[in-house]
Amino acid sequence: MNKRIVTRITIVSFIVGLMIAIQYNTIQKPTERDTRDIWEIRQELSEEKKRHSELLSEIGTLKSIVDEYENDDKDSQAQILKSTVHDLKVRAGIEAVSGPGVIMSIQPAMELVALGLEIEPISPDLLIRLVNEIYRYNGLYIEIDGQRLVHTSAIRDINGKTTINGFAIDESNVEIRVITESFEKAEKLYSYLYASTFHDDFYLDNLSLNINKALSNITIKEYDGKLSNTFLVENNKGE
Amino acid sequence: MWLPFLGLLLGLAFGLLTDIQIPVVYESYLSIAVLAALDTIFGGIRANLQQVYDDKVFLTGFFFNIALAAGLAFLGVHLGVDLYLAAIFAFGVRLFQNIAVIRRILITKWEERHIKKGENTV
Repeated sequence: MNKRIVTRITIVSFIVGLMIAIQYNTIQKPTERDTRDIWEIRQELSEEKKRHSELLSEIGTLKSIVDEYENDDKDSQAQILKSTVHDLKVRAGIEAVSGPGVIMSIQPAMELVALGLEIEPISPDLLIRLVNEIYRYNGLYIEIDGQRLVHTSAIRDINGKTTINGFAIDESNVEIRVITESFEKAEKLYSYLYASTFHDDFYLDNLSLNINKALSNITIKEYDGKLSNTFLVENNKGE
Repeated sequence: MWLPFLGLLLGLAFGLLTDIQIPVVYESYLSIAVLAALDTIFGGIRANLQQVYDDKVFLTGFFFNIALAAGLAFLGVHLGVDLYLAAIFAFGVRLFQNIAVIRRILITKWEERHIKKGENTV
């Protein structure tokens, strides 16, 4: 075949291939139409805004810590280090912490007890749901019946008894303490829990959930077990 | 003969990798354009084999056929008649005819070569 003809046919077949590929793309992966209305977009925007401001405030705190480390003399650097360690300990749960929060209690529903119904232990499932909801609504630290919840805490049924961190909790009278970041958030948490269906959920198990108003200062005990970790190793080089 | 195939493969790869898409409304136009382009290619190959290939006819045929097919489809959409079917039918028939002619020519050439080989060995 003539070279020029081959070139022409090659160019045309390149265009054909391109067109076939575009057709294939269009049919196989149609662009998803945006069917959100203004309200949904606004809601998504507000979520993103919230995240934005959270990230900004986090960056601010970390920056101020970095500044402190960089600017101050050695003594205060040690101080900062100590406060950072304290902060981390509080977050991990091995130090007592106090702050604004909400105290609630779970007791047997009196009218049902008067009827002669048996008091049932609090079910772990219900407790787990409550804890999850508290975390969802900005609860920072939680203590249930004197047991501080840490990242390894398990709420489960052992031989018919509901346990937290391996310790059985009281069957009929349990106090839950929740600490939040600010008093405002504590009030929000209180309002949310007050309006939620948890009252009814606990009532199904013949229990009543009493949620007290937000307090400006409550204290939560430290976790009294031993926190083990297998992935961090102490570095003794500096000593 | 392999260069056009390479071009086709290159075009396919380019299109698939760049992930270009067109609005769904124009899908039928593109499919007709593809058909027209295929028809042009096979027409070109046939013409070349019959030694009547003309550059002008080939290139104008390519663009004119595509434009005509798309125009027919456009008209069909606006008149409410599926006129693009006419284009598909015409191109389809021509495609088959062209390929049949190409096949016959190739077979004839192959047979001629075979006979020549036979004569040479004898």
